[in-house]
Amino acid sequence: MPLETPVLFKNIPTPPWGGFAERKYVDYDAYVKAGGYEALQKGIDDGGEAVLAEVKAAEVRGRGGAGFAAGMKWGFLPPADGEPRYLAINADESEPATFKDQILIQYDPHTVIEGIVLCMLACNLDTAYFYIRGEYHHHRDAFERAIQEAYDHKVFGENARTGKINDRWPRLFLHRGAGAYICGEETGLLESLEGKRGWPRIKPPFPAVAGAFARPTIINNVETLANVPYIVAHGADAWKRNGKGRPDGVPPHVPASFGTKLFGISGPVNRPGVYEENLGIPLKTLIEDYGMGLRDGEQPKAYFHGGISMGVVTQDEVERGVAMDFDIGKKWANLGLGTACVTVIPQRTSMVSMARNCARFYSHESCGQCTPCREGTTWTAKLLQRIEAGDGTTKDLDLLLELASSMGSMPGSTICGLADGNNWAIRTIVNKFFHEFEEKVSQSSSVSLAILNT
Amino acid sequence: MAWITKDSANARIDRRDEPYLSDAFKKSFDEKYAHRYPNRQALSLPILHAIQHEHNYLPYQALEEAAEFLGIGVSDLLDTATFYEEYFLEPKGKYTVWVCQSVSCEIMGEGDVTRAISDKLGIEPGETTADGKFTLMKVECIGACGGAPCALINEELAEDLTPENVLKRLDVLD
Ligand SMILES: Cc1cc2nc3c(=O)[nH]c(=O)nc-3n(C[C@H](O)[C@H](O)[C@H](O)COP(=O)(O)O)c2cc1C
Ligand code: SF4
Ligand code: FES
Repeated sequence: MPLETPVLFKNIPTPPWGGFAERKYVDYDAYVKAGGYEALQKGIDDGGEAVLAEVKAAEVRGRGGAGFAAGMKWGFLPPADGEPRYLAINADESEPATFKDQILIQYDPHTVIEGIVLCMLACNLDTAYFYIRGEYHHHRDAFERAIQEAYDHKVFGENARTGKINDRWPRLFLHRGAGAYICGEETGLLESLEGKRGWPRIKPPFPAVAGAFARPTIINNVETLANVPYIVAHGADAWKRNGKGRPDGVPPHVPASFGTKLFGISGPVNRPGVYEENLGIPLKTLIEDYGMGLRDGEQPKAYFHGGISMGVVTQDEVERGVAMDFDIGKKWANLGLGTACVTVIPQRTSMVSMARNCARFYSHESCGQCTPCREGTTWTAKLLQRIEAGDGTTKDLDLLLELASSMGSMPGSTICGLADGNNWAIRTIVNKFFHEFEEKVSQSSSVSLAILNT
Repeated sequence: MAWITKDSANARIDRRDEPYLSDAFKKSFDEKYAHRYPNRQALSLPILHAIQHEHNYLPYQALEEAAEFLGIGVSDLLDTATFYEEYFLEPKGKYTVWVCQSVSCEIMGEGDVTRAISDKLGIEPGETTADGKFTLMKVECIGACGGAPCALINEELAEDLTPENVLKRLDVLD
């Protein structure tokens, strides 16, 4: 069933409720007029514990890629000990093909800010850092403006309407990144916040126990927090009416896909953009009804369905019913829902070149701490460059798969998930489109220069 | 990511008498940022951004002054500065064109766009024109995939690029 009313895009005109061209910055006054900051008042009246309970009941899962339940994460915090406690908002959004958070940041920042304060209230956190990627210039200006408005209206700062949180007046600051994908990884982000190179940390300790400046820290994605005002204002049950619940008979500890989700669509479609829909929407519907189908003369071949790190699904799988929810990984042999931003890969595009593009990305963005990632991604990129140039052998394909499958935090050879992204992107592309690679290596055009030289 | 090894024994560092970080700069910087973080090392990214904003790159002497100002080692600040792609340790052009080369942009024709810019300016990605006007960079996804292929020209986003319209956009810059 299509979504009836938008939740996250309530104030952001989006088809079918409005047009992209009508989108504009929603300032503090306009936000309040549309019912904004009522959830904050309710949160203040009911108290932080009630907010926490509601978010837990909503079972809202993280929208940054991993899908971890926010309420559960918030519950990991140790009791207050009088020292500072932090919130870091992940607005790094650097996964290739992902451009969803930036819409919230530039047009409706107060929804995000209201979610931030509610989280601070629920978790007893006094200071929040909004870590935004360096390349979001215009977005940074918009968010700075919103932060200022929030201070001016006593959402933050001295005499804030929340009163003191953790014995301090609540504060929110923007922290600008400087062009490094790895700073989206939560502990890489913390290192970068502390002014160091963005090297992910070995866990444990988890950030909830020792995060920013070695203090308890919650890290959430922009979109995750933007859901919180609605949950607090209307209750968990209302929020859970959207999305895909548990099938009958499934026990309550099995995570489901409640709520709406922002979906990006890019590639050769008629109306690329960011849309809001129920979790569980078929990918085919998303492309046809929101992306308005492929452009004239283009045929779909495959999709990066959630940023490149989740891998690909094929057109055949999509015809068989790929649904955009948190179970997509289990059902269709990929890493998961990821950022839910879809790239349409048309027939004319070679999957070998897509694999080469992904491998170059990971080798460029690897932070270099773990050997399997640092060396493996570079090796993979070189192999694929060679294969694409028509200079590969069948043995290279075995090597490629072996390299890819050996690296990552899940095989246990690396510190963070960047290498898992390389693992899944390369493996799903090669396995699902093996014929394209085979074709390329079997008609090996050129004789290797290395051989010529000997 | 950068693994820059500096040949420190022989490298000549350009120095000038006038400090890069004036007292007025330090004062206003501290007023704006110091209270935000519990220690001064966390001011590294903000100060590097501020210096680069002012000078268009990070002169080595400015890094030394900044490190002293923050009370951290120069090597610590250099370590941070070299890790991030946005920081330049060498002068770059007045305009930096950051072309996105990630998947959606490649599918939508980034290759032709980059080639057009490269041919027109006579430089390869990573290089700066002799007159110091343009630097061309190929970067990963800039979060504007709906308008692929796209690029940032300094801080300005340019979407739905073609080999023709991108050159027009560069032509009007002075
Ligand atoms: C290599 C890597 C890059 C990541 N980049 C981002 C990112 O840009 N934005 C984001 O929200 N999460 C990113 N994540 C996920 C974060 O580590 C973290 O799980 C997330 O911010 C938690 O927020 P959530 O639970 O609200 O989703 C990345 C993870 C990895 C391993
Ligand atoms: S897996 Fe790669 S990116 Fe992650 S910490 Fe190791 S080297 Fe760095
Ligand atoms: S892929 Fe080019 S902007 Fe995202």
